[in-house]
Amino acid sequence: MNTLKSITKWTGAALACVLFFSSTTWAQSSSKLTDPEIASVAVTANQIDVNYGKIALRKSKNKEIRKFAETMIKDHTDIIKQAVALATRLHVTPKTNATTKSLLDGEKSTTKTLDSKRGKAFDEAYIDNEVAYHKAVINAVQNVLIPDATNQDLKDLLTKVMPLLNSHLEMAENTQAEIQGKKVSANTGGSSW
Amino acid sequence: MKNRKNKWISGVVLAGIITLAAAGCTSPGGQNNQAAAPEKDTVYIAGMKFKPAELWINQWDTVVWINNDIVAHDVTQFPDKTWSSDSIQPGQSWEKAFGDSVDYFCSIHPTMKGKIMIRQ
Repeated sequence: MNTLKSITKWTGAALACVLFFSSTTWAQSSSKLTDPEIASVAVTANQIDVNYGKIALRKSKNKEIRKFAETMIKDHTDIIKQAVALATRLHVTPKTNATTKSLLDGEKSTTKTLDSKRGKAFDEAYIDNEVAYHKAVINAVQNVLIPDATNQDLKDLLTKVMPLLNSHLEMAENTQAEIQGKKVSANTGGSSW
Repeated sequence: MKNRKNKWISGVVLAGIITLAAAGCTSPGGQNNQAAAPEKDTVYIAGMKFKPAELWINQWDTVVWINNDIVAHDVTQFPDKTWSSDSIQPGQSWEKAFGDSVDYFCSIHPTMKGKIMIRQ
């Protein structure tokens, strides 16, 4: 009964998170984001997931959660490095904007929630947030950042990141299923070979 | 005169050796009996996929994985992880020769899967 309550609660939280990111954070207004603003949003969104991963490594003892968090930290750090290198090469200075600030506000709120959880409740909260966060980021990159980017190299980097984000989402969903005790094919995340 | 005759004999002997050598490599059916020399086959890693995901090779050919993706990957035997490459950074490659067919995956991103199959 407690498990059901917990799942219901976190499903609601994850949904709220998706709605928050999709309606408020990313699509601030009808005005297009500039390339320096897109660079800022991209770096911030990646850094936030690195920070969530670090919280997971600090708080979780679950092997699957820790492995997933390590991959998130590594991959998103690599993407930040590439985004910064591209911005430097293009002489683009990432510009903080309303979307960046909104993302950081969302991070504060989520971090507070994660910090208040322990054990299995933390693992569920972390992985539920990862599923919701990746869905929101995928939606934003595909429908806002790529269409708004004017520099072709920036557009190309954002396009190249999409398969990585989709893979992260699939990994998060598989880890979520394992945490919830559902069967997933060993090692392979359940997809057909 | 004697010198010319010797040259002619040497030519005939050489031609005979070449003919015999060629015959030794050919079966009665006319097909080449020699095992093909091991070759290198390539799998590219890009867009979070092994391309091609299924690769047919001759026994003991070497497969080279080239990471053209934006993050590091590895190549690990499935399901027992009996062998694994180290982390292959973007722009780097790793290779291994295969005597048997195998399934493999990226242990960092388990959604990425591939197969090496040996031609009979």
